[in-house]
Amino acid sequence: MSESTKNKDNLLRRIMSSSNFGILIALIVMVIIFTILKPSYFSKNNILNILVSCSIVGLVAIGETFLMIAGQIDMSSGSISAFSGVFIALLLASGWPLPLALGLTLVVGACIGLANAFLVTKLEVSFFIATLATQSIFRGLAFIICGGKSIGVSHKVFLKIGTTRIFGISLPIIIFLILFTIFAVILMKTRFGRSIYMVGGNANAARLAGIQSKKTVTILFTISGVMAALGGAILAARMNSGQPSASEGLEFDAVTACVLGGVAMSGGIGDMSGAFIGLLIMQGFTNGLAVLNVQSFWQKVAKGLLLIAALTFDYLRKKQRERNALKQMEAARLKKN
Amino acid sequence: MSTLEFRNISKIFPGVRALDGMSFTAHSGEVVALLGENGAGKSTLLKVLNGDYQADGGEYLLNGQPQKFKTPLEAIDAGISIIYQERQMVPYLSVAENIFMEALPKTSFGLVDNRVLNQEAQKIIDLFKLPIRASDKVRTLSVAHQQMVEIMKAYRRHPKVIAFDEPTASLSDTEIDILFDVIRQLKEQGLIILYVSHRMAEIFRITDQVVVFKDGKFVKQLATKDTNEKELIRLMVGRDLGDVFEGLDRNREIGDVILDVQHLTNPWITDVSFQLHRGEILGFAGLVGAGRTETMRAIFGADPIREGTILLEGKQVRFSSPKAAIAAGLGLVTEDRKDQGIFQVRSVMDNINVAAMKKVSKGIFLNAPMEHEAAVKAIQQLNIKTPDEMKKIGELSGGNQQKVIFARWLQASPKVLILDEPTKGIDVGAKAEIYQIACSLAKQGIGVIFISSELPEILGVCDRILVMHDGQITGELDPHKTNEEEILSYAMMETERRE
Repeated sequence: MSESTKNKDNLLRRIMSSSNFGILIALIVMVIIFTILKPSYFSKNNILNILVSCSIVGLVAIGETFLMIAGQIDMSSGSISAFSGVFIALLLASGWPLPLALGLTLVVGACIGLANAFLVTKLEVSFFIATLATQSIFRGLAFIICGGKSIGVSHKVFLKIGTTRIFGISLPIIIFLILFTIFAVILMKTRFGRSIYMVGGNANAARLAGIQSKKTVTILFTISGVMAALGGAILAARMNSGQPSASEGLEFDAVTACVLGGVAMSGGIGDMSGAFIGLLIMQGFTNGLAVLNVQSFWQKVAKGLLLIAALTFDYLRKKQRERNALKQMEAARLKKN
Repeated sequence: MSTLEFRNISKIFPGVRALDGMSFTAHSGEVVALLGENGAGKSTLLKVLNGDYQADGGEYLLNGQPQKFKTPLEAIDAGISIIYQERQMVPYLSVAENIFMEALPKTSFGLVDNRVLNQEAQKIIDLFKLPIRASDKVRTLSVAHQQMVEIMKAYRRHPKVIAFDEPTASLSDTEIDILFDVIRQLKEQGLIILYVSHRMAEIFRITDQVVVFKDGKFVKQLATKDTNEKELIRLMVGRDLGDVFEGLDRNREIGDVILDVQHLTNPWITDVSFQLHRGEILGFAGLVGAGRTETMRAIFGADPIREGTILLEGKQVRFSSPKAAIAAGLGLVTEDRKDQGIFQVRSVMDNINVAAMKKVSKGIFLNAPMEHEAAVKAIQQLNIKTPDEMKKIGELSGGNQQKVIFARWLQASPKVLILDEPTKGIDVGAKAEIYQIACSLAKQGIGVIFISSELPEILGVCDRILVMHDGQITGELDPHKTNEEEILSYAMMETERRE
C-alpha cells in the first residue's frame, strides 16, 4: 500500500471514529430527506439562506459552547441581542459615528455579560435563574428605550453590513466564520481554552490545580454578552431597523445546536466542530420546515422536540462513557488475574 | 431466630472494585461489627443492603429470602434501617413528627392527629427510657438524643435489621453510653444489628461478632470474645506492613526549614504552629475532622486565614488563592480524589499537565508535542498503568489515578508537597508505590506533609509526627520512639480530659 492511501485510510478511520461522525451522518440524512420532500431545499440560494440564518445564531452559539463546556448556560442572549439592536439603531439615529456606536454596543453587551457573571460567581445564583432574570430585564429595557416601536436605520455604511457580498457570500456569514475559527483555535490550542474544559470537568479540582474558575466563568459570560450584542447589531443592519421583539428564543436555538453537536450538558466535554454541525442541523431543520410551509406554531413544537432528541443523545453519550469506563476496568482486572 | 446472609456480593465503580465476593451471615440477638480500613467496603455494603446501590453480583437473604431493592424506601418497608453518622432529620419539627415522619396519624378529617401522635411517640421514648418529650423540637436536643430520635424512627417501622454507620463519631463518652444502652435493648428484642466503627474499644464493648473486610473482600468472621485488638489489626491490614516500610528507599539528609507556620487560626483551626524541613516527611495524625485538611487548605490559599503567619523559605507569604500558592511552589494532593482531584472525563495527559500548563506551552498556545512528551515521561517515571496518555483518567484504577495526581504535582516542581490521605481507597500494592514516591520526593529535597488516618503508614513513612485534635496540634512524636496507642491518646486528648 502506498503511503498516500495509507494516510487517506487513517484519515477516514479518524473521521469515522470521531465523536462527531454520528451527527455528521444525521445532518446528511436530514438534508437528503428535506431534498426528497422539496428538491429546492438543496439549491444554492436556499443553502445560502441557511448559512445567513446560521450567522446570528452561530455567534451566540460560540458564546454558549464556551459556557456549556464550563458547565454554564446563558439564557439572556436573545434579550441582549434585541436590546443591542435597538440600542445601536438609536445611537445611529441620533448621529453617532458608526465605529463609536458599534463599539459602545459591544461594550454594553460585555457589561451585561459581566452582570450575569457577577450574579453567578459572587452571589452564587444558579446560572439558569441568574440569566433568566437578565433575560427579562433586557427584553423589557429593549422595549423601554425605543418606546415599543422599532427604530429605523438609514446609516448607509451600516446597512451595507447586511447587503455586502464577497464572492457571493454575504458579509454576516463571513464575520461569523472568521470569529468561529478564531474561537475554535482559542478553545483547542490555548491554555485558556484548556482551562475552560477543566473548570467544566471539575470546578473544585480546577481551583485546587491553580485555575481561577470564577475568573474563567466571568470571561466566558462576557464573551457571550459581546457575541449576542454583535449578533443584535448585525441583525439590525439586515432588517434595516432595531426591533425590540427580535431574536426571541435565540439562546434556545444556540443551546439546541450545541447539545446536538455533542457539547455535554454536564460540562467538560464538547468542541467547536461539533457545535458547528449542530448549528447546521438546527438551522437546516428550521429552514426545512419553513420551506415545507409548516405552520410557524408547529415549527416551535418541532424545535422543542428536536431539543428533546438532542438531550436524549446527550444522555445516551453519557451512559456510553460510563459503560466504556466500566468495561476498561473489567478488562484491566482480568489482565491482572 | 432471623438471619441476614450475604452471598458473594460484588460492587464495581469506575476506578475501584468496592466489594469483591463478600459473604457472611449475621444472626438476630447479636451485634455484628464490620471492621476494615478506610475504603475496605463497609459503607458500600451498607448501601447495597438498603437499596441505595445495586449489587453487580451476588445476593443477600433475609431469613432465607433473597432481597432485591431498587430504592432505600423499599428496603425500609422490608424492615431494613440504617443509622448514619450524619443525622437525617427535620430540626424544626418535633420529636414525634420526626419519628412518625411518613406515617403521621390522621383524624377523620384527614388532619394530623397530634394527640395520638404524641402519645404513640411517647410510648416509644419511654420504652428506651429517654429523658425527652415527644413535643420537643429536635434542634433543641443534644447530638446523642438527636441520634436516638433517628433510632426510634427506625424502630417505629418494626425493622428486622438496623445497621449503624460510625454512630459515635460525634458523640461524647456519656452520650456513647446512652447509645449503647439503646443498642443492647434492640439486641434483646431480637433484631439483627450491624455496627460499623473504627474505634477498637467500642468494638469490644458492644459487639458479639466481628467481620473483617479488606480491599472489598471478606477476610474473617470471629467471635469478639475470642479475639484481641492486635489480631484484628493484623487481619485488617492483611499483611505485615513492616516489610513494606523497611524496604523504602528513604531520604537521610533533612535540610533547613522550608515552611514555617506560626499561630495559624481560622474558623476551623486554632493556633496551629509547625515547621517543615527540606527533604522531610512530616506526618499529620488525628481522627477524621481533627483539622488537618483544614490546616492545609488554609496554607494553600483555599480557605481564609484569620490570624497567623506563614514563612516559605524565610519569606512571609499569605496566598489569596491556590493559584498563588502553586506559583510559589506548593502542591496539594487532595483527600477527595474524585471531587477535588481528577478531571474524570479528561485524558491522563490533561490531568498530568493541568497544574503546569505553562511548561507545555509556547506563548499562550499549548504545544501538543510537548504535552504528549511530558505526559509520557511522567507515566514511565511513576509506573502508571495506562494503555496510553490519551486514556480518560476515569477509566483507570484508584491507585493509578492517584499516581496521575502525583505526576501532576511533579510537573509543577513544588518545594512543598502536601499529601492528604494519599492512599485512601487504593489497594495495598499501589499503597507501597505511593510510599516510595513520597520518599523519593523527599530525597529530591521537597518538604512533604503526609496526612493519614492510618497509623501504621504514619509510623512507617514519616520522619516526624504531629497529632491534631479538634483544630489544634496536641503532640509531636518521633516515629521511632512511639506507637499507635500513644498517637491515639494524643488524637483523642480532648475526650480524655473531659472524663
